[in-house]
Amino acid sequence: MNSVTTFYLSRVIGQKVFDTHNQSIGVVKDLLVDPESSTHSSGHPVVNGIKIKRSGKITFYSFQNFHIEKINGNTKVICDQLIELSTDQINSNLYLAEAVLDNQIVDINGRKLVRVNDVRLVTIVNDTFAVAVDIGMEGLLRRIGIAKPMKFAFSLFHASIPAKFILWEDVETIDSSSLNIKLSKSYKKLQTLHPSDLADIIEDLGRKASAQVFSALDDERAADVMEELETETQIHILESLSIEKGADVLDKMPADEVADILDALEDERAEQLLNEMEKDTSQEVRELLVYPDHTVGSIMSSEVLSFNQNMTIEEVLIELRAQKPEMETLYNLFVIDENEILLATFSIRDVVISPPDVKINQIMKPSPVHLRDYQKINEVAEIVSKYNLLAIPVVDKKNVLKGMVVIDDVIEDLIRKRRTNK
Amino acid sequence: MFKNKKTLFSQIGLFLAILGPGIITGSVDNDAGGITTYSVAAAVYGYNLIWTLIPSFIVLVVIQEMNARMGIVTGKGLADLIRENAGVKITFFIFIGLLIADVGNTTTEFAGVAGSMEVFGVSKYISVPIVGFLIWFLVVKGTYKIAERIFLLFSVSLLMYVVSALMGKPHWGEIGHAIIHPQLEINTHSISMIIGIIGTTIAPWMQFYMQSSVIEKGLKMKQYKYTLIDIVVGCVATVVVAFFIMVACASTLHENGIQINEAKDAALALKPLAGEFASQLFAFGLFIASVFSATILPLATAFYVCEAFGFEAGIDKKWDEAKEFYILYTGILVVGAAIILIPNAPLIAISLWTQVINGMLLPVVLVCMILLVNNKKIMGEYVNKPVNNIIGWSAVTVLVVLSLILLLLPIFTNGN
Repeated sequence: MNSVTTFYLSRVIGQKVFDTHNQSIGVVKDLLVDPESSTHSSGHPVVNGIKIKRSGKITFYSFQNFHIEKINGNTKVICDQLIELSTDQINSNLYLAEAVLDNQIVDINGRKLVRVNDVRLVTIVNDTFAVAVDIGMEGLLRRIGIAKPMKFAFSLFHASIPAKFILWEDVETIDSSSLNIKLSKSYKKLQTLHPSDLADIIEDLGRKASAQVFSALDDERAADVMEELETETQIHILESLSIEKGADVLDKMPADEVADILDALEDERAEQLLNEMEKDTSQEVRELLVYPDHTVGSIMSSEVLSFNQNMTIEEVLIELRAQKPEMETLYNLFVIDENEILLATFSIRDVVISPPDVKINQIMKPSPVHLRDYQKINEVAEIVSKYNLLAIPVVDKKNVLKGMVVIDDVIEDLIRKRRTNK
Repeated sequence: MFKNKKTLFSQIGLFLAILGPGIITGSVDNDAGGITTYSVAAAVYGYNLIWTLIPSFIVLVVIQEMNARMGIVTGKGLADLIRENAGVKITFFIFIGLLIADVGNTTTEFAGVAGSMEVFGVSKYISVPIVGFLIWFLVVKGTYKIAERIFLLFSVSLLMYVVSALMGKPHWGEIGHAIIHPQLEINTHSISMIIGIIGTTIAPWMQFYMQSSVIEKGLKMKQYKYTLIDIVVGCVATVVVAFFIMVACASTLHENGIQINEAKDAALALKPLAGEFASQLFAFGLFIASVFSATILPLATAFYVCEAFGFEAGIDKKWDEAKEFYILYTGILVVGAAIILIPNAPLIAISLWTQVINGMLLPVVLVCMILLVNNKKIMGEYVNKPVNNIIGWSAVTVLVVLSLILLLLPIFTNGN
């Protein structure tokens, strides 16, 4: 067969298989593709196997000796020779009809979940590939069995049924049945998505699938995604992950975010996670957990950079290079005395524009605007807006610097409030 | 609900956070169609059909418990699960049925709006377009969440039927006697009344609604106990309101031999018998129930259809992103309202056919549900216990038999 044949999965499933003598030998139940096959430059997965129901029994055969022919617009499945697949060969494959058809997959370019109406396949020479998924109206009508009459009806009005395909390289399948595929699916394509988009997708997945996709992410990325998830999904994921993996992810997150999550989690689970986490991170989190909801302490970030006023700019820069702080931490820099009492603030701009030998006390702004740790959150937004601040220091009643509230957290709190008021 | 972003309910406190899906579903259940059926049944048969509320209650609890469990375990909507496991053709049949039935249901809700406002002297040509536009505006402008809460608050007003009922000075002894020993002649009319009551109490679209609410609340198996309480409270509320509507109508209309066709007639007829206040309470309750359901029904239907067929859906999406969803939603609302405005529209026929489709759909949806909830791949260790299955399958059997009777009834009655 040295030709190119394209066909749809739905036209093959449920069809009779004929041998070379035109005798029916069974009915097609499913096609198996190798999801990780990158032998072809196109990245399209090769159809490896076929699931056939033969006199009441399900058997898997190699697809090598099968081919698809189109006769008068009808699809016919022909088989030259039956070679059974071993269990190992079966298990490394993805079931197209069971795990892809009618299921949700991730449209990588559209950054959202779409439902698969059909799969388009192509046979080139001797290999058959899954090339695209059909998510359009045409696929739906084809499945219901009224595509052809509808096409005819539409053509009378010179219109066409909207068809919508996504190429296989632009989708990531999610197999939530987890019965037939290796558990360690890499979800490589998902790694290219922005953490926020990935978080939205994970939220929209079912229970099993969301935990499965999340646990495939590496710790660093998992932490970024975790930050973007809604509270209830965070809880669900943390309850599905092992304590070790959960703690690893939390270790990579800012302490205030971790405190928020653990606050919503069951006490026992939260304690287990805290014990498993790295000492200094968990210590910070424990301090934050003391603050009641709706107080500044509960949303503040405890990661702050504080300096002695006698340090020079040069020394500050050396310190910053050594610590490699996150962007947020640089929103505001603080000056404290030996008792950790807040004296002044200075900005990264002040550092950048000053000569290296200048001392901090020459550029710092004394008696800064600050918040108390037990102050109510709803007063913060006004202060932020009034003084045009990116981050405000938080002190306790003895004026000891405890952390800072970053503008992002204030905005997040405002949005949450508006949403729950609705 | 109907946003893909899940809202933060966890802040409101555990019990209040969990309490809700069952109670809201229960309140939506007593919609204009329900009130009409209960009033008409009571006007004709007095207290003698009140017993039907007991089996309805049991089946309602069992079904909603299955929905809640499926939602909790899978985190997926019923439409999603049916599409993924039953394939396109069955999904297509169910949702075409659901769509047609819900257009009919929406029409009934607008009939409720029109009828109740006429009691207050407002013409339906004024009330229906205004209410229809307000509902559309409310939802599309994304203030749905506020609306849902206001409605939930207003659904307390359904308890007005208790007041209405008490003002009619019912005979409690007779009610008790009628529940245990109903005096009922078995004929086509009484059987169709029974089917009507059960059919209106357990509507197919509510199963989809219940499951989505549970998911939206992000409930967990640990909170199962509270969820069960919520469901039972919701079902009790549904049945109690239904009970008092029937008592109100039975103790006044039936005893005076007044026959009615619509819920509005019940409100009007209550006036000379139980006083103007009782009549207005009844009409106000009808109005609130109708608007509540007219808001949720088209929205829910559009949402599930899109969910099943993979169109973008949700009121947090823009018109361009979710065209199919908005067209469906607007379409259902407009058609439902427009039918009421047609002079001499065959409202009774529409409500009859809506019930027929509901009746055919319900067993199909229930069979799908029971199969899904028994599927180990989907439910894991939380598959149905034998008790659930016995009650579930007997409910399906009874409903199938009743639906068949309902389908065959018109043939026999027309033959007479």
